[in-house]
Amino acid sequence: MRYQLDLTLRRAEGALARVLGTAERRGFQPLSVDGETQADGDRWHLRMTVEGQREPEGLQQQLAKLYDCLAVQVQPCA
Amino acid sequence: MNGARWLAQALVAEGVETLFGYPGGTIMPFYDALHGTPALKHVLVRHEQGAAFAANGYARASGRVGVCVATSGPGASNLVTGIADAMLDSVPMVVITGQVPTTLMGTDAFQELDVFAMTLPMVKHSFIARSVDDLPTMVAEAFRLARSGRPGPVLIDLPKDVQMADAAHLPAHASLGRDPAEPPRDASLHEALALVSQAQRPVVYGGGGIVLGEAVQAFRTFVDATQIPTVLTLKGLGALPTAHPLNLGMLGMHGSRAANLAVQEADLLIVVGARFDDRATGKLAEFAPHARVVHMDIDAAEIGKLRHADAGVRGDIATTLTKLTLPCAAHLHGRHGPARKAWRAQCQQRARQWAARYDAPGEGVYAPALLKRLSELAPRATVACDVGQHQMWVAQHWRLSQPRAHLTSGGLGAMGFGLPAAMGAQIAFEECGDRGAQVICVSGDGSIMMNIQELATFKRYRLPVKIVLLDNQALGMVRQWQELFFEKRYSEIDLSDNPDFAAVAAAFGIQALHVDRAADVEAALQALLAADGPALLHVAIDTAANVWPLVPPNRCNAEMLDPDAARDADAATSPTKDATHALPA
Repeated sequence: MRYQLDLTLRRAEGALARVLGTAERRGFQPLSVDGETQADGDRWHLRMTVEGQREPEGLQQQLAKLYDCLAVQVQPCA
Repeated sequence: MNGARWLAQALVAEGVETLFGYPGGTIMPFYDALHGTPALKHVLVRHEQGAAFAANGYARASGRVGVCVATSGPGASNLVTGIADAMLDSVPMVVITGQVPTTLMGTDAFQELDVFAMTLPMVKHSFIARSVDDLPTMVAEAFRLARSGRPGPVLIDLPKDVQMADAAHLPAHASLGRDPAEPPRDASLHEALALVSQAQRPVVYGGGGIVLGEAVQAFRTFVDATQIPTVLTLKGLGALPTAHPLNLGMLGMHGSRAANLAVQEADLLIVVGARFDDRATGKLAEFAPHARVVHMDIDAAEIGKLRHADAGVRGDIATTLTKLTLPCAAHLHGRHGPARKAWRAQCQQRARQWAARYDAPGEGVYAPALLKRLSELAPRATVACDVGQHQMWVAQHWRLSQPRAHLTSGGLGAMGFGLPAAMGAQIAFEECGDRGAQVICVSGDGSIMMNIQELATFKRYRLPVKIVLLDNQALGMVRQWQELFFEKRYSEIDLSDNPDFAAVAAAFGIQALHVDRAADVEAALQALLAADGPALLHVAIDTAANVWPLVPPNRCNAEMLDPDAARDADAATSPTKDATHALPA
């Protein structure tokens, strides 16, 4: 199954690596990543497509625990 | 006032009294700052892994944040196992590492190592201070994060130039304390209560989150009021006294037969601060096959992670239990009251029937009997274990009556944990004025060699830890698995050329005793406990001794191997008979 992740991250050292690493370790392979710095300069808006067989709610919960993750939504890809 | 001195004062403001560490090049400004900070006691270990495990043991025993310090490069990498252990067992720690100056970062400088990247998967969070102005926020957040919610380790990587930068303009440190735990939602409590009201064969499955959530009293009240049979995980041991009539013991791979069978037959599991670890569940697909699940945890990510929760109650465990106690207790005499009573009686009868026996034949020392007796002789002691067979024997046979008295590397299973963890615990007790507190380290001949250098630290600080070294001249747990699951093809488990441990201890200035006959155990234990200062009891045990019961890997928890029980006529009718006969010859 493929899922679309929509994340708002604190623009902090290691934030991107934490998100990517968490997705991979929790069983979801990144297929695409894109994003940009938000207008305030303090945040990133990141979109990822991932693929995995595990429950997406688990990934959402793990990402939500990251200190630098300010918001995360996970939805199945159309 | 430079950054290092500001940090030292900030640690004092956070309530830190002791830190464990080892100096080196890039952390030298911080060590220089310790000169002007008498409120901080630094414990000089002999290897950085000892510092991480000591801070870990300090935190486990006291509930306070453990702090360790090392330099960059090898100093930082030597901390890693202790950090990982804290992450897996949810231990609050702040780890401070020196780093090469910011201008040299990324140039492969001497002793440069990207410990920030190395530890990303094993910290609750981590920071690199790129500027001295980062320190106030980072230090405050590090301690807040370490101790709030589900605790864990937080790393601060501190470049040398940041330590040396002028910090006179920084405000005095202000601790953020700990975030208040969120209460459970009423709707989730109602869902849980509905499931409890329907249960005829409920079992409480308690884990380490009970102690971490400071919910021991609420947990004991809940169990007493509801009279529900209870099993505990390795990390949950102590949440309910061993001798409590509803305590069926530890569940899982080396769990008690009464505990495992109760879980397998239960129609409701009330999971309190536990996470369905594979060592607890065995083959997950066949774990508690008849049970619906109420899962209480502070960490939402644990609810439903491995086993669907019919009712997930996220929030403060103590509040959850307190709110559920009276409504759940009301069902004690409800429509399922008679069925519950019969279930409880069945569980308790099994616990009596399959209680461990300590009448092993032969003249040699039977480790389970020795450990049980030692726990009876030192009922208020805190026991720190290493990892292996002795760890499981402690879990099975040590009599515990209080929380935070059983320190064990549960999630990571890190050999080498025991000695430094005991050191940290002893120092935590001394720090709070309890100089009479007894700390016992139970280790094995494999494990103790992984951090044996810390005997020097025991000697230096006159830490009166009593060490029981169970020596089977082998890597016993690996040997046991090779015997049972690899057709006795023993591979690299022989330690028969061990050093003379008594002589080793003596070389460190630690008095040592030896025992190798069951008849001499009582006197040896008495002498050990009466010894002034640190002491080591070397115990020679049978190389072939195994830990029973044992659930083979990837098997259902009902399939326990236990030749001891097979010899018991009463056990001949147990549901585990077939599995017992499957034991390799």
